[in-house]
Amino acid sequence: MDYSNQSGFRQRKLQPKVRMRGSAVDSGEPSQLFDDTSAGHNAGHSGVDKGPMVYAGQSLLSDPVSNLAMAYGSSLASQGKEMMDKNLDRFIPISKLKYYFAVDTVYVGKKLGLLVFPYMHENWEVSYQQDTPVAPRFDVNAPDLYIPAMAFITYILVAGLALGTQNRFSPEILGMQASSALVWLIIEVLAVLLSLYLVTVNTDLTTIDLVAFSGYKYVGMIVGVLAGLLFGKMGYYLTLLWCCASIFVFMIRTLRLKILSEAAAEGVLVRGAKNQLRMYLTMAIAAAQPVFMYWLTFHLVR
Amino acid sequence: MRMRVTQSQQKSRSANMAFTLYALIQTAILFTNAIAVLHEERFLSKIGWGADQGIGGFGDEPGIKAQLLNLIRSVRTVMRVPLIIVNSVCIVLLLLFG
Repeated sequence: MDYSNQSGFRQRKLQPKVRMRGSAVDSGEPSQLFDDTSAGHNAGHSGVDKGPMVYAGQSLLSDPVSNLAMAYGSSLASQGKEMMDKNLDRFIPISKLKYYFAVDTVYVGKKLGLLVFPYMHENWEVSYQQDTPVAPRFDVNAPDLYIPAMAFITYILVAGLALGTQNRFSPEILGMQASSALVWLIIEVLAVLLSLYLVTVNTDLTTIDLVAFSGYKYVGMIVGVLAGLLFGKMGYYLTLLWCCASIFVFMIRTLRLKILSEAAAEGVLVRGAKNQLRMYLTMAIAAAQPVFMYWLTFHLVR
Repeated sequence: MRMRVTQSQQKSRSANMAFTLYALIQTAILFTNAIAVLHEERFLSKIGWGADQGIGGFGDEPGIKAQLLNLIRSVRTVMRVPLIIVNSVCIVLLLLFG
C-alpha cells in the first residue's frame, strides 16, 4: 500500500490532495481506494487535463464510504418500495385492478355502442375461463374500469365547458364538481352494497364491479350535456331521455344475470318472495341511474 | 352591491349542489355514532330489535330484519374503539381549527 501510494504520489500533482482526503476519511479500508486509482492512473497517462476530472469521478465512486452509503441507500429504497407495495396491496388490490384495465379499442367501441343502444344485443352473459372471468378485451359483457374512469374525467371537463359558456366558470368549480360527483358515486356504491347485504344475495359482484357499473352512466351524462350545449334545452331533454332509457335497460339486463337466480334469469317467472325481492332490488338499482343522471347534469344546462 | 349579491347567490347555489368529501366523512362519522349510541337493554330490546330477537331459526335464509339487526350489532361491536379515537381526533381538530 505504501508502494502504490508513493507511486501515485510521484505520478501526478493533483493526486496527493484527493488522495489525502480519501485516506483521511477512512484509514480502516484503504484497499478499495488504492485499487481503483490504478485504473485512473492508466487514464492519467493520456492527458493531464483529462486526468483530474477522471480521477475526481473515480474517487467519488471508489471511495468506500460513499460506496457503502450508496449500497445501503439503494437497499433501503428497494426495501421501502417492497413494503409500500405489500401494504398498498392490502388496501387497494392492484393486481385485481389490472384486470379491469385490460381493454382494447374494439372493446371500448362496442361497449360505448352498447351503453347507448343496448336493444339489439342478445347474449349478456360473461364468459368464464376456468372459473375466472375473462378479461374485458375478449368479452364485451365484462365490466371494466377504463370507460368509467375516462367518462368521469370527461364529465368534469364537459361540466367546466358548459359552465364556461354561461359565464359561471371559475377554477374552483371544477374541483367542486369533481368531488361532488365522486361523493355521489361513493354513496351510490355504498347503498348498493348495503342493499345487497340485506337481501343476502349470493353473487360474485365485487365492489369494483359495482363501481364500474355505477360509472357507466357518465357516458350518457356526457352525451346529454353535449347535446344540450349544441341544441339547447330541448336537445338536452331528448338525449337525456334516450340515454336514461338505454342505461336502464343495460343495467337490468346486466344485473339480472348476476343477482337473480338461474331460473329467473332465463325469463321464467319464478314466484317466490326471495326472487321478487331480488327483482325489486335490480329494478331499484337500475332506476337510480336515470335519477342520478338528471341530478348531476340539470344545473349545467340552462 | 348587486354584483356581490349575485355572486353570493351563485355561490350558495353551487354550495347546495356541492358535496365535498369532507361532508361525506362527517356524514359517515355521524351515522356510525348514531348506530353506536343505541343502547342494547334500554332501547333495542324494548322495540324488539335486541340481539337475541333477530335470529328466527336456522332456516334457509335470514330475512331482512335479521340481517339488519346483525348489522347493527356488528357495527356496535366493531366500531366502538375506533369511534372513540375518531371522535377524539374530531373534537381536538374542531377545537383547534373551528
